[in-house]
Amino acid sequence: MTSVTHEGVEHIADTIRAARARNEPLRIVGAGTWLDAGHPCADATRLDVSSLTGITRYEPGDLVLSARAGTSLADIAAATREHGQWLALDPLGSADGTIGATVATGSCGPLASAFGTPRDHLLGCEFVTGSGDVVRGGGQVVKNVAGFDLVRLVTGAWGTLGPITEVTVRLRARPEVDRTLAVALDAEPAETLWRWLRESELTPLAAELLSPSLAAALAVGNGTVALIRLGGNETFVRAASDAVGTLGVAHEVPSSVWDRLARAESAAALAVRVSALPSHAESLWQRALELIAVTGGYAHATCARGVVRCVAPTEGADIDMLRTALLRLADGVSIVGERMPAHLWPALPSARSTRDLEARVRTAFDPAHILNSGVLGA
Amino acid sequence: MSALRSRLAAIVGDDRILTRTGELRSYEADGLPGYQKRPSLAVFPGTRDETVAVVRVLADTGTPYVARGAGTGLSGGALADDVVLLGLHRLKRIISIDRDNARAVVEPGVVNSRLTAETRRFGLHYAPDPSSQTACTIGGNVAENAGGPHCLKYGVTLNHVLALTVILPDGTVVTLGSPNGEQEGYDLLGAFIGSEGCFGVVLDATVRLTRDPAAIRTLLADFSSVDAAAQAVSAIIASGIVAAALEMMDANTIQAVEASIYAAGYPTDAAAILLIELDGPAAGLEDDVARVIQFCRSAGARDVRVASDPADRARLWQGRKKAFGAMGRISPHLVVQDAVVPRTKLPAVLATIQRIATEHRVNVCNVFHAGDGNLHPNIGYNADDPDEAARVHVAMTEMMQACIDAGGSITGEHGIGLDKLQYMDRLFTAPTLEAMCALRAVFDPDRRSNPGKVIPIHSCSEWRAAPSVRAAAVR
Repeated sequence: MTSVTHEGVEHIADTIRAARARNEPLRIVGAGTWLDAGHPCADATRLDVSSLTGITRYEPGDLVLSARAGTSLADIAAATREHGQWLALDPLGSADGTIGATVATGSCGPLASAFGTPRDHLLGCEFVTGSGDVVRGGGQVVKNVAGFDLVRLVTGAWGTLGPITEVTVRLRARPEVDRTLAVALDAEPAETLWRWLRESELTPLAAELLSPSLAAALAVGNGTVALIRLGGNETFVRAASDAVGTLGVAHEVPSSVWDRLARAESAAALAVRVSALPSHAESLWQRALELIAVTGGYAHATCARGVVRCVAPTEGADIDMLRTALLRLADGVSIVGERMPAHLWPALPSARSTRDLEARVRTAFDPAHILNSGVLGA
Repeated sequence: MSALRSRLAAIVGDDRILTRTGELRSYEADGLPGYQKRPSLAVFPGTRDETVAVVRVLADTGTPYVARGAGTGLSGGALADDVVLLGLHRLKRIISIDRDNARAVVEPGVVNSRLTAETRRFGLHYAPDPSSQTACTIGGNVAENAGGPHCLKYGVTLNHVLALTVILPDGTVVTLGSPNGEQEGYDLLGAFIGSEGCFGVVLDATVRLTRDPAAIRTLLADFSSVDAAAQAVSAIIASGIVAAALEMMDANTIQAVEASIYAAGYPTDAAAILLIELDGPAAGLEDDVARVIQFCRSAGARDVRVASDPADRARLWQGRKKAFGAMGRISPHLVVQDAVVPRTKLPAVLATIQRIATEHRVNVCNVFHAGDGNLHPNIGYNADDPDEAARVHVAMTEMMQACIDAGGSITGEHGIGLDKLQYMDRLFTAPTLEAMCALRAVFDPDRRSNPGKVIPIHSCSEWRAAPSVRAAAVR
């Protein structure tokens, strides 16, 4: 691959080299919608990558698209929709969010149920290391095992190995029919939905369980509601709709409900995900309900992945109460913080056995530890 | 060496160590002709504990080593050049199968197709299906990030491994990824998969199992030109129908298969055939079959037929999966190549490959994963004929360059190993190769695990700077 370096990328590389020489910490900023997600961070100079915008290569016949990191997901959606295609990735938050930040934070949404997380969509990327080297991992083809996988490495690394400047993603053809059904679930809703997903051969694009508070806010029903998104040809979607009917009385809701779900939370809210084996979905769900009973807010679950996400207001909240509630939520299961008040981050338990390896990776790519210092641990 | 031998023998037993030239000859090659490297010693641990103990002795003595599964790789990646060969095929336990969560924990020596056979009773299977699946191991699949025909729909090894327990070259045992839920932090699991044995040795793998499709339709479409077949591929991909597999074979391949015991009933006068598989729930499947037939006919297919029953389907697939074997009948040696191009470039690149083959008077057979642009141009030849071998080498190099020029990659599933080292700096910039070296150094600072593979050593600044390390690794 010949490297065509954007002028802006060279500028970023110069900035990083200069900062390294001065030992000056940098905070990487795209659209700024997530930024440090509340991590306790040292004072840092902002390294603004938001000017790196635009789709650099899009050949619809290849179902592959390359874009500079600051390109918004909305712009990518608009460009691909024209050709009946999409990037099947729906991270929660505003559509003004950028593709670079989505990849850097490893963010995904309900569609991950069928299509996976950013690591499953990314084919290539360009980033600038903490030494100011411009690195291009992966490529522009859908299958590629050449060299060590730098692409997976920077996905979800929160910019700590270097700001991402360009990405290449795999696209998919939009389904012929895309229909969303809402169905209210009573007792053991997560268990019911998980079991249905396990046993039905009609795999949906997404199946998200909503707490009563969220279902009410989205006006999709009373009580706990499953939102099930079906995609495929008409015959498939009809059969799948019938199958959803076995869960209870289902009614169709506009597809825009997914955008409303993504934007339901305020940028100030606390957001954490707990996860376990999918067969434990119900116990996770009950814990999440206990949390929001204390904190307010709402929960939603991607049952196929065994992931429950809790969103709670923090304005005027009692931090000690939040801390206690979070610890109870996380007891014995995996917890990943998305966004929290700074003083809550240290409370999150972490059972990673790879801290030492990770620290060495970080030092290898950012020897002076100037990039997003404080994010992903010290 | 005898001191090392004694220490290893104390762990695995005397009869699990080979040192005689004659005995080691079996391990001189993998599936790729043209490279022969003899290990200094081969050791075959039978349990996880023995493997850990062996790797720790190798660490303790600073001994370079190469891990090897079934040795079916096609890039020379499992060859040990006068270093220790660590054979893992005895670690073949399926440790557990979790039907509810559709996953299994297996040791690295478990053969790919055996895992599918053992999970069939639950209506599950292991989706990555390289053509060598009846022999290759899960450990080798992880090392190479193996693919296969069905990864078009289901994804490659990376998408099916949830966690790995690995032993790093320094003897530390770590878990990468998380078998029970998400984990914050770097995706070291993703970095490890496809690292070709350079980052450490897999002790066990937690893999995702995939539900068996309720219905399968296998179609055979035949075309009077490669271009027409490629157009049909494009039309199917663009339609949004996700075929489980979409394979192309050209006239040379068809004729080789049909002349062999693997004859599958392919039309011998076709310029190209497509083997197309659609699977999933019965609902809607026939609609997709009808559309695919229409796309093939519109692109100029002479005939499209649907396999009549499972036996017919198995026969159609056998021709594809054993095509390499069929080619082996025709010439003493066969280079199975591997490259990827953007799908829209398939017709142009195939034409270029044919032109290169004609120019250098070599016989190329194309059999490949058309759906994801993953080419396998194969050249049968006689490696003992220096003139022919030289022409094959030049033709292969030009074909690889053509794929790079088309915006593609030099390997889609076979890995770099030894064979593709020469192309790495055509594909990646110097800072990118340096970054790969830096990543390797995190896992294996002494470069003892599979030394000399994947990254051309002149690309690593630390390598250049450390003659003692270099001397130890190449011995």
